[in-house]
Amino acid sequence: MDPIKTAVDSGWTSLSEYSSKQVLGTWDIPVTREVLVQDSEEAVAAAEKIGYPLVLKPCSRDLMHKSELNCIELGLSGPEAVIQAFGRIREKINTPLEGILVQEMVAGNRELVAGLSRDPQFGVCVMLGFGGVMAEVVAEPVFRVAPFDENEAMDMIRDLKYRAMLDAFRGQAPADVEILCRILVSLGSLGLERPEIGEIDINPLIISPDGTVKAVDALIILEGVQR
Amino acid sequence: MMSDISKSPLYQIARPESIAIFGASNNFSSMGTSVLNAILTDGYEGRIFPVHPKEKRVLNIGAYSRAGDLPEVPDLAIIVLPTKIVAETLRACGEKGIRRAIIVTAGFSEVGGEGPARQEEIKAIARKYNIRFTGPNCIGVVNSQMKFNATFLSSTCRPGFIGMASQSGSFITQMFDYLEARFGQGFSTGFSLGNEADIDMADCIRYLGACPDTRAIALYIESIRRGREFIEAAREVSLTKPIVAFYVGGSETGKRACLSHTGALAGPDRLYDGVFKQSGIIRARSVEEMFDFCYALGSCPLPKGKRALIQTHSGGPGAAADACGRSGIELPALSSATLEKLRAYVPHTASVKNPVDLTFTKNPLDYFKAIPEILLEDEGADSLLVYFLATEAMVNRALESLGVPEAEIDAQVKTIIEDQCTSVAALMASHGKPMLGFSFLNRQNPFIAGLQDNGVPVLASPERAARALGALVECSRLREKLARSKRPASV
Repeated sequence: MDPIKTAVDSGWTSLSEYSSKQVLGTWDIPVTREVLVQDSEEAVAAAEKIGYPLVLKPCSRDLMHKSELNCIELGLSGPEAVIQAFGRIREKINTPLEGILVQEMVAGNRELVAGLSRDPQFGVCVMLGFGGVMAEVVAEPVFRVAPFDENEAMDMIRDLKYRAMLDAFRGQAPADVEILCRILVSLGSLGLERPEIGEIDINPLIISPDGTVKAVDALIILEGVQR
Repeated sequence: MMSDISKSPLYQIARPESIAIFGASNNFSSMGTSVLNAILTDGYEGRIFPVHPKEKRVLNIGAYSRAGDLPEVPDLAIIVLPTKIVAETLRACGEKGIRRAIIVTAGFSEVGGEGPARQEEIKAIARKYNIRFTGPNCIGVVNSQMKFNATFLSSTCRPGFIGMASQSGSFITQMFDYLEARFGQGFSTGFSLGNEADIDMADCIRYLGACPDTRAIALYIESIRRGREFIEAAREVSLTKPIVAFYVGGSETGKRACLSHTGALAGPDRLYDGVFKQSGIIRARSVEEMFDFCYALGSCPLPKGKRALIQTHSGGPGAAADACGRSGIELPALSSATLEKLRAYVPHTASVKNPVDLTFTKNPLDYFKAIPEILLEDEGADSLLVYFLATEAMVNRALESLGVPEAEIDAQVKTIIEDQCTSVAALMASHGKPMLGFSFLNRQNPFIAGLQDNGVPVLASPERAARALGALVECSRLREKLARSKRPASV
């Protein structure tokens, strides 16, 4: 099953978080471990498999700003908490859902954003910036036009204004820049390979205290969609 | 890399052996007449054929009433006619067999109404007859080596090594005096592109990359139309020849100005930052900086790293050191070997650090040879910045105090200055390290003119020299990055 083809064939404008990450995962972009479930029984089973602490999120291609709906359940530490959280989400959301996402909770307060957009003159452009609550103020995004290789991705990272945040930082390990480079290169290749994709927004891309880098939330918007 | 420059569509535009000009007359105020005037004044040596429906002679040159009547097929047509007759003229050129044109006339895609349709019409005619052209809405071309200046103002510039492509029409023309006054040279070749209906920035990058007279390329960019081709051309050329860009479409106000100027849609500033970086292009923040960078890059070998020594008289060291700090240049301490060698030339009281502040030297002329040579030999540094303050009067006084007869002083001053300047230039050549001068004096000072004319770049302030050195460092860094990349940016 190709989630992009399904979306295009069905006339959808975007992919859900779960489907977006499935696409990214097949392009070698590290994403959170997660399972899409339909009831609390499945949720608990998935939770046991992934391990605690966990996050539960509603999953739908129509929910672009989950955090604004205030229905992300963070830091769930056992089966009871999972069952309760599942119920709370079901109560709050009355639009149809693809399901509820049981997701590993990624620790780390260093947040990046990465993305893809199409420029009329240059085509596929890959973006990297700083994320988190202050993102709109301090994102300082840097761009490259695809295709480009790891050397160029490294130069892109070097251009980040607050790149010192990627170094060892308050007891945390330096970010794994090789993975970060691979993510940027892959985003570019994905955009070139799949013209159906108009935009990709990975936000946040979290750097864990051990330096690993992972897409925690992601959204793929199809080409030709006005946001 | 373009192996043969004659394969470029710009070859006959930049170096035509013969030209036809449409729109020149005996009316001195018309634009076409100004263009022909510039061509004649600057001394173009090719054959010139004015085409005019009524005049038998234009500016004393035999004229022809139609393209079809021309006695030969010229390399290039220059069209400076009212908008509504450009299309039929281009068609007549095509019928005659002319395959290159510069369309100066405005009133195409940069205006509303029928403008865009008129531009499509001339593109279709050009395609039909295999005509490659620059413009419309541009100001021709200048090639100082060939004394071919088809802009609307004549130029007194000596041939230079900066090649330029500009999307702003008359920008090239406006810079003639500035470049001559500042650096004592004009453009090697300069293209004004206007609306880029056919030939664009990417073509110019390839041409200038292959042009033997061009050592550095300046780009004045309002918007890049063929993004991929631009990146690809620049990545190839910047491996061997520095490219500096000044982009004016980045801010909101800049964006609006460009849209009305050449009809181009300007992209976001940060995207262009990335495009330039991945294309190996150094971005300048102002017009002056663009030319400072090109001048320094075309004059100097690239440094191996970012460590510089500064040689200065009292007064200037603080400014230079501070400017280096802000340009990412490091100022290492002098090596013990350097300190040892300097001892013979500086007073015992001098504290020799970096910047090397000489206050005074035992022999003032050591400043031009012995001391910079010692500093260039320092293995801990990659480049040298030198402050120049010498004046003719100083040499005069020195000769007087040595008892040189008054009648001989003038000639000796001249010789001494020339010797000093050539010796500085020889130092840079023999040590393979960049050496940038800076001074608040200008080319009216014979030392400054002498240094520049011998190939030592002298810039207008410590800040500007430090920024230019920063550009040299960035150029080597970008070049190494491109060379490391496994594959070109092509798809």
